[in-house]
Amino acid sequence: MNLEFLSPAVSAVARSPMERQAVAAGANLELRDGWNVAVSFDGEAAEGERCRSSAGFADRSHIGKLELQGDLSQIGVELELGRATLAQGAWWCPTSRERALVFCGASQTAELRERLEETPANVVDLTSALAALTIAGPLAPEVFARFTAIDLRPQSLPLHGFRPGSVARTPGGILREGEERWLMFFGAALGSYVWTVVADAATGLGGGPIGIEALAALEEEASSHA
Amino acid sequence: MSYVLTCPNCGPREVTDFSFGGEVNPRPKSTPSVRELGAYNYFRDNVAGVQREWWFHRSGCGEWFLAERDTRNNHVLLTELPGGKA
Amino acid sequence: MTRLPPSDGERIDRDSDVTFTFDGKQVSGLEGDTIGSALFASGQRTFSRSFKYHRPRGLMCCAGQCPNCMVAVDGAPGVRACTEPLREGMKVEHMNASPSLNFDVMRATDLFGGPFTPPGFYYKTFIRPRRFWPLYEKILRHAAGLGKIARSQPEREWQTEYRRRHADVLVVGGGAAGLRAAIAAAELGADVVLCDEGPEPGGRLLAEGAHEHARELAERARAAGVEILTSAPALGAFDGLIPVWQGDTLHQIRAGRVVYATGAVEQPLLFPGNDLPGVMLSGGARRLAALYAVSPGSRAVVAAVCDRGLEAAIALMDAGVELAAVADLRNNGSTPPLNELMRRGVRPLRGATVVQATGRGRVRRVVLAPQGGEGDEVTVDCDLLVVSGGSAPATSLLLQGGARTGYNRQTGVFALEELPDGMYAAGEVAAKGALDVAERSGEIAGRQAAHSLGFGDADSHARVEAERKQLANGNGQPPAVAVPQPVAPGERKGKCFACFCEDVTAKDIHLSVEEGYDSIELSKRYTTTTMGPCQGRMCQLTAIRQMAKETGQSLEQIGTTTARPPWHAVPMGALAGRPFEAAKRSSIHGRHRELGANVMWAGDWRRAYDYGDPQAEALAVHEAAGVIDVSTLGKLIVRGSDAGDFLDRLYPNRFSNLKPERIRYGVIASDAGRIMDDGTICRLDDDTFYVTTTSSGAGTVYEWFTWWLADWQLDVQVTDVTQGLSAVNLAGPRAREILSSLTDLDCSAEGFTYLDGKRANVAGVPCLILRIGFVGEVGYEIHCPSAHGQHLWDALMEAGAEHGIKPFGLEPQRLLRLQKLHVIIGQDTDSESTPFGAAMPWIVKLDKEQDFIGKWAMEHASGEELETALVGIKLENGHVPTEGAVVLPDGDGPVGQVTSSRYSPQLGGVIGMAWVPASLAKDGSRVTISDEGKHFEAEVVTTPFYDPDGEVLRS
Repeated sequence: MNLEFLSPAVSAVARSPMERQAVAAGANLELRDGWNVAVSFDGEAAEGERCRSSAGFADRSHIGKLELQGDLSQIGVELELGRATLAQGAWWCPTSRERALVFCGASQTAELRERLEETPANVVDLTSALAALTIAGPLAPEVFARFTAIDLRPQSLPLHGFRPGSVARTPGGILREGEERWLMFFGAALGSYVWTVVADAATGLGGGPIGIEALAALEEEASSHA
Repeated sequence: MSYVLTCPNCGPREVTDFSFGGEVNPRPKSTPSVRELGAYNYFRDNVAGVQREWWFHRSGCGEWFLAERDTRNNHVLLTELPGGKA
Repeated sequence: MTRLPPSDGERIDRDSDVTFTFDGKQVSGLEGDTIGSALFASGQRTFSRSFKYHRPRGLMCCAGQCPNCMVAVDGAPGVRACTEPLREGMKVEHMNASPSLNFDVMRATDLFGGPFTPPGFYYKTFIRPRRFWPLYEKILRHAAGLGKIARSQPEREWQTEYRRRHADVLVVGGGAAGLRAAIAAAELGADVVLCDEGPEPGGRLLAEGAHEHARELAERARAAGVEILTSAPALGAFDGLIPVWQGDTLHQIRAGRVVYATGAVEQPLLFPGNDLPGVMLSGGARRLAALYAVSPGSRAVVAAVCDRGLEAAIALMDAGVELAAVADLRNNGSTPPLNELMRRGVRPLRGATVVQATGRGRVRRVVLAPQGGEGDEVTVDCDLLVVSGGSAPATSLLLQGGARTGYNRQTGVFALEELPDGMYAAGEVAAKGALDVAERSGEIAGRQAAHSLGFGDADSHARVEAERKQLANGNGQPPAVAVPQPVAPGERKGKCFACFCEDVTAKDIHLSVEEGYDSIELSKRYTTTTMGPCQGRMCQLTAIRQMAKETGQSLEQIGTTTARPPWHAVPMGALAGRPFEAAKRSSIHGRHRELGANVMWAGDWRRAYDYGDPQAEALAVHEAAGVIDVSTLGKLIVRGSDAGDFLDRLYPNRFSNLKPERIRYGVIASDAGRIMDDGTICRLDDDTFYVTTTSSGAGTVYEWFTWWLADWQLDVQVTDVTQGLSAVNLAGPRAREILSSLTDLDCSAEGFTYLDGKRANVAGVPCLILRIGFVGEVGYEIHCPSAHGQHLWDALMEAGAEHGIKPFGLEPQRLLRLQKLHVIIGQDTDSESTPFGAAMPWIVKLDKEQDFIGKWAMEHASGEELETALVGIKLENGHVPTEGAVVLPDGDGPVGQVTSSRYSPQLGGVIGMAWVPASLAKDGSRVTISDEGKHFEAEVVTTPFYDPDGEVLRS
């Protein structure tokens, strides 16, 4: 518990490093689990269409991000390098044999952190240290191709594949959350810069920003098809 | 310079993903003489050929690893984690 | 405008007019035209003026290979008219001619300028007398280069960008061989990209009667899933990364295997007048006629060294061009096109070639003669001279990728001899020129590439191996080619251009050899042959042949120059791509902007330099309270049972004995004993330390820590939380009150003493509060999750309002710390500084039981006398010396320099830090500072200027 000063508290508003850009792009913000979250932009229809025909990107910096180091044997999840495991409502992404990143819903973070602190693994809360964007849609790989050399072709990055590496020339990584949906993380201080890069690339391909509500709707759509 | 290095954790990435840590240059095990200390601090082999060197995956997993690289054509023959982690 | 009768393969749409301007004059072309074909159809014959002699030049290759048709389009220079598609309203202008393309005063350099433009003229002329240089410079600036670029651009009109493309197989070149290779690899399941320079794939098939076949192949490739990039030349080969330029996108293609089907470049011939408008390569003449229905001339002479030129002669006859004469350099033999010409009543002159072309502004008369000069000359009037000097394999990209070539005497060109792993060649570049052979070689290369990546079954492997053997055996006689001989400069009147881009003549090569530049690499640099926009396509082989003649060496001995990128001319903007300016910003950055901060770069961070008045901001810290955003500080969590031991090994002082919730300053040194970085370390509990570093050192320190850890294998884990935590330093006499109002923590002088590190909620946010004193007043460095950074800042500003709190920037912080003689690593120290020189010998604990990094070097250093030492300085006369000003001890040479200097309103004087001779590093010594040409006296001070005993700081 001695690293509490790393974890955002619900007692004050937590803000994404991309908040100002999102607002400038027309975001509607709502308080969710202590975070000011961009829930929508120009409406679910337009945002949904963006993700069906081109690419939409959503700020998801509010999700919980935990780093596990050291002895990972008792975390209760099987880890495989290069892949993310979806378990206990969280993504478990090993970056080496002795280190993993865990991404979870904002509301789950505190509980998951406390549980993991019971294991021999060393837990550091990186929720504030990393910003995150989900880019979804058929042209999302093309958007990524404008700023990262990470190979996103399906044969190289299968569903739930996880690739730490440079994005927009800064340290980060990409997780393939769904068929046409990729989560990208990077340093929080670079949030405003990365937003600009992604927005530039996406706009050129007919894409644009979306809120997390449109993202949730897409997910529902996908699961109803499946 | 735009070759590819294979990070033992993350797989192949552009060389710009990494920081170069120089050729492997073990620290003396016991107090060195002035001459030995100078050689350790300042002299490198700088071979035209295969060299064992340190690399750091700065943009990815954030770990150090060892590579054997031919300095003449940048062919990387081997990468591995140090100290039996592999 | 006249066009040839419609034909199947033509690219133009006769029903759609496209209007554009050329040098202000309105011109009309057709949809599908290039600028070049439309202008030629409108009667334009001169397209440009040459680089040095300003000679008129016309269309020659019609394939973007030569430099002859470069124009400026909508203000952008260097566009090749012959390949640039026509667009409605485009503004085309000529380059390198003044006042007009038809009358160019600089033509004088051709007529009279010989003595001023010998090879290497830029080393020889326009040099003496030296005082005329300003005039020369003006003349040269005017004369140099080809195009002009706008000096300013009001707005960014187009954005270029990179597109990363991974592929299994990249096929470079979309002719018959390339298309076959792409189809073969894709049909085996490989992910294939094919790039081609032309607007549609097909290469020579398109203009040489096989367009339907080309379109069929392209269709099949697309159906097999090949991504075809058109108007997309590959620029180079960089360790397996191949940039392909397409409009405003630069594709960076990384493929597992590369098949090069780059074809061959048709070579011009060397003779006086070989650059006249109306002298065309056979391929160029055919393309004009077949693709754009433009007749390249009305009466043609054809000079060929192989069947390719003769085939062109037949095609031109079919297009209605009168064939005045044909010269075939081959002495004997019989080939199908030769027979066809005979059948049509044309009797080619055997063993003959063109030896001279004349005409004012364009070719009017051609002299044909047997090679070697024995025999009768024939003089023929014509308006078109079609030359075909053989085909040089386009090996540049392959050579860049590690292939090797060698001279082949039979074909007279440098041919591929060795390919590195992962590289394949097919078609003309691999000397598989005949159409059926090219296609078979493409198919084999494509399959081999895919096979080597694991595609295809054993059966497929066996089949391709059999085909490969069959092709190798059945290759039979290579097509008959005669090798053109070098010319003897001066034998006939007129310049023979070896290099069209840079206007280098055969005589220039002769002179350069005479002057001793007898290696091809030297000659290249001296004459600049092969260094122009054609990148050696038109000139390399000719230059090598001339060199061989001049030096008496064989072509094998001469060899080729090193192939270098870019293989194709590319706008700088396309290489620049989208700007990636990875700026880091604190979570409070928006607030600084709103407060009117002057923002500056500090490493890769954007930071507030000041908020308009740095001196007032500094005074506020002394008088009330100031707050500065220090989120840029590097922050590491070092955890594990060996954490204390680990830090003891990395720092010259001790941390294993640091008590929890206490802070200690530390300096990191290299094993050479040189200072690398500094910062404070707070022990959070037995196993956990919170380490801060300088803002610019964060990345380096993290790498340094983890590097040693990789070696030592201790139970320690390091996490970089720099961007996860916002940090603000609240300092000043009212800081305690302000902090107390926002937290339940006991902030009294006794409850929270100097160098304590406490965790508590501030403004409802969990924080780590470090009581340290970089700026000299009571100060609290408050670290909180960066998601709450703005919240914390707002709370402090609000709570501090009644106490007179002011935000302060980097500049006032620098002044405040200077008053305390607190060192900034990298500002006051350099890569040679040791803790001893930097006035902190106390930090080195040589009696420490552990070995630590830098110990050995420091042991040596501790026993040696210092040369220079870092001290404070005080200047009386009000001059603030430049940082970097030189310290002169007794008027001798420089011994040190001023590293920091400021006017301090608090102290009412100028203070600084400087490296001075160690003998003078004591209070009261005087040194001389040389700055801006004057000398200033300064007094040495070794204790802080402000609060020297630290009473204020500890209060």
